[in-house]
Amino acid sequence: MEYKKVTFMYRNKDYAVDGIRSALGLAVENMYSYGVVMDTEIEQLDEHNQESIEMLRDMEGEIYSTVPANVDKNGFEAITIEELGEKLRDMSIIIPYGLK
Amino acid sequence: MAKSLGIFVTNPDNFAHVMGITKAAKAKGSKVKVFFTWTATHNAKDPAFPELCELADDVSICVDSYKKQGYAVDDVPKGLSPKEMATQAQHGIIIEDYDCYISL
Amino acid sequence: MKILNVYRSEPDDTVKKLVEIVTRDREVDSFNLMDPNPDYDLLVDKIFDADQTICWW
Repeated sequence: MEYKKVTFMYRNKDYAVDGIRSALGLAVENMYSYGVVMDTEIEQLDEHNQESIEMLRDMEGEIYSTVPANVDKNGFEAITIEELGEKLRDMSIIIPYGLK
Repeated sequence: MAKSLGIFVTNPDNFAHVMGITKAAKAKGSKVKVFFTWTATHNAKDPAFPELCELADDVSICVDSYKKQGYAVDDVPKGLSPKEMATQAQHGIIIEDYDCYISL
Repeated sequence: MKILNVYRSEPDDTVKKLVEIVTRDREVDSFNLMDPNPDYDLLVDKIFDADQTICWW
């Protein structure tokens, strides 16, 4: 069985944390699930949300960001727009999440 | 036979599109499932929401999001049953079991 | 592989760049959801015809 690969993209800080929760929701359904915080700097995540991301990583998912501050503050993996585009080519489902 | 269609709604401003796409897909004989999450759960209070529930084969909302948007869990929107106040697993069903997918 | 790009707003440079990379060497279609009266019938036909639909912000 081939597992689905899904990437969520978040461009609005009010949608990022919940969007990460949605990504985790698919990882527990046996999908490769990734999130990308773009354009926006989000606040430092609390322990509960950091644990959610750790769970996502345990299931081979990841949260990326194009914004260096998010990488420094929250330990997201750095990614460029070009790298993201290449990654999206490999996805079964691509979700531009929430509002811009 | 028409393909089935799953709709994942994450933007509360897209309800008219959800209705339009659902109507068009049903007119073609398609099976349609819609799942609302985060701020899009406000759409469950739209006057046209019960009509969507009639039209589509399956409509559910993320109950955790609904609660975080300020609604009581026992305030079940018209058109839904308590079991359709659900989890992100509904999104997984859309991806695994439906032929086509759109997020709105 | 046929990709359908659906636009809810005018694509900015980031979206244009991602679309360019994702659709490289692939068949591509598009639909504009910015129209005041979108032709949902046509949109559903396009969704059914595509292998993947991406609805950009």
